[in-house]
Amino acid sequence: MSIDDALAAWAATIHLPAETAADIYQRIVATPANPRSPGLNPAWWRHFAADFADRMITSTQLTPWAAGRCAPTGSA
Amino acid sequence: MDQEAEFRRLYEGHRTAVHAYFVGRTADRWKAADLMQEVFMRVWQRLPELTGKSADGQRAWIFTVARNLSIDTYRHDRSRADAEVARGHEPSPAPPSAASAVIAAERVAIVGRAIRRLPEQQRTTLAMAAAGGLNSTEIAAALGVPAGTVRYRLSLARRAIATALADYDQPPALREPR
Repeated sequence: MSIDDALAAWAATIHLPAETAADIYQRIVATPANPRSPGLNPAWWRHFAADFADRMITSTQLTPWAAGRCAPTGSA
Repeated sequence: MDQEAEFRRLYEGHRTAVHAYFVGRTADRWKAADLMQEVFMRVWQRLPELTGKSADGQRAWIFTVARNLSIDTYRHDRSRADAEVARGHEPSPAPPSAASAVIAAERVAIVGRAIRRLPEQQRTTLAMAAAGGLNSTEIAAALGVPAGTVRYRLSLARRAIATALADYDQPPALREPR
């Protein structure tokens, strides 16, 4: 028995029986193909990150009043 | 083609390879069957995403789901699967009825034990080739690794099995004590 024959014989011991494969198939197709709840929009993270970045930039910008007070004086 | 016919085509075309992949990951064909079912459940539920893809694209999609699923579940079950393997729960061939059948069955058992001892990446690659019927290019696409890596893993795995078989074929007096 060559190594290929031995591997083929081993493969035969781990294959799923046809009835099991057919049972699994039937179980799957018995479920609704398209779940009614669409779930979370896959783009939620992109929208969230963009909004978060926008708010962060806005919140760190100095108001004109504060910008005047914080302007560098040029001396230590 | 209606939805169920398309799904049946994908299921029949890929189930053996997906199951072999999970046998390689878990060393347990029934656990592998559960995981395979989970993969094809996702295929069924997201079929419209696959229908427009090429055959290679469909395989890549299916194995991406399989890899993600194995990452999610395999860590939790690893110790239990290892324990079952250690107890010898892996199914064995039917009882032989003649001396030649005994030898053949013993050799298959040796191959099975040698495969279970392989590092996981080699075991998965070999299972996909030997039991899944995929060539090295298809395995590479499915696993997301270069084809050369697949061929290298297959070569190492086959060498380990050849060594195990050669050891078995030696007369008992010449075998190394274990």
